[in-house]
Amino acid sequence: MTIEQLATAVLDACEKEGVHHMLTGAFAHGLYGIPRSTKDVDVVLSVASGNPIERVVRRLEGVVQFEQQVKFDTLTWGKRLVGESTGMPPFKIALFELFDDPFVQSQFQRRRRMFSTQIQRETWLPTPEDVVVQKLRWGRSKDLDDARDVLAVQGPETLDMPYIEKWCALHGTVPRLLEALAGIPPLD
Amino acid sequence: MNPPDPDLAAAELKAMQDSIYREKILRARRQTPEERLADVFELTNSVFTRMHEGAMWQAGISDERQGWDIVRKRLARLRQVYDAGRFVNHLPAALQ
Repeated sequence: MTIEQLATAVLDACEKEGVHHMLTGAFAHGLYGIPRSTKDVDVVLSVASGNPIERVVRRLEGVVQFEQQVKFDTLTWGKRLVGESTGMPPFKIALFELFDDPFVQSQFQRRRRMFSTQIQRETWLPTPEDVVVQKLRWGRSKDLDDARDVLAVQGPETLDMPYIEKWCALHGTVPRLLEALAGIPPLD
Repeated sequence: MNPPDPDLAAAELKAMQDSIYREKILRARRQTPEERLADVFELTNSVFTRMHEGAMWQAGISDERQGWDIVRKRLARLRQVYDAGRFVNHLPAALQ
């Protein structure tokens, strides 16, 4: 199995179940920043249609073996279920349930549709501004590098910086934003 | 011979790091979003292949399944480090 095949299976499962979704993680970062490899496919699922995780998991039976128990992240208390592809390589998949966090809601509402030639499908991805805000909020070393990459590749002059600054102020991550901006070397 | 100046060495290292990072940024800027996304897929498949080959070589085995088992264990350890303290099995009582 390739990562494309796994991503295709996940997106097909969402489509067949009528679950609105958004790819996040390295795919969102790679779209706007400096592409890097990943170990998993991260997808946010809308709860509008009811029990999205259960339904997508059922659709992926035989393709992905999911853990028995959902987990909650200690930053936002969002719900996550992790699985692993049954074929080799052992790619991970993480399903996140959309919840009532104001930023997460905003990010999902602003998501954009794009066509990927690799998976021959349209998919939904966050805006570059939302990738930056989310990465700064999570704040692990790789997240901070990812945020800086998106700022550097897109260029702050092309981004809606007031939007980014507004959420960073609410999340208390303005110092991380300033550090990321300072980490961009002169490009001329 | 004088010992190397640590401040000068640090400045040279920083200049080299900035130069490498600058090239990566400019290369990514020359790509379309679709090309960058395609790179994520390609890099991921390539890295898993290299990890598998490396695990088999290091363990001196030829069984591909065993090789993937080693990769799986290594990735699980990495994830434990990466996610340490980030996830719990239950919501706090106040949020239930």
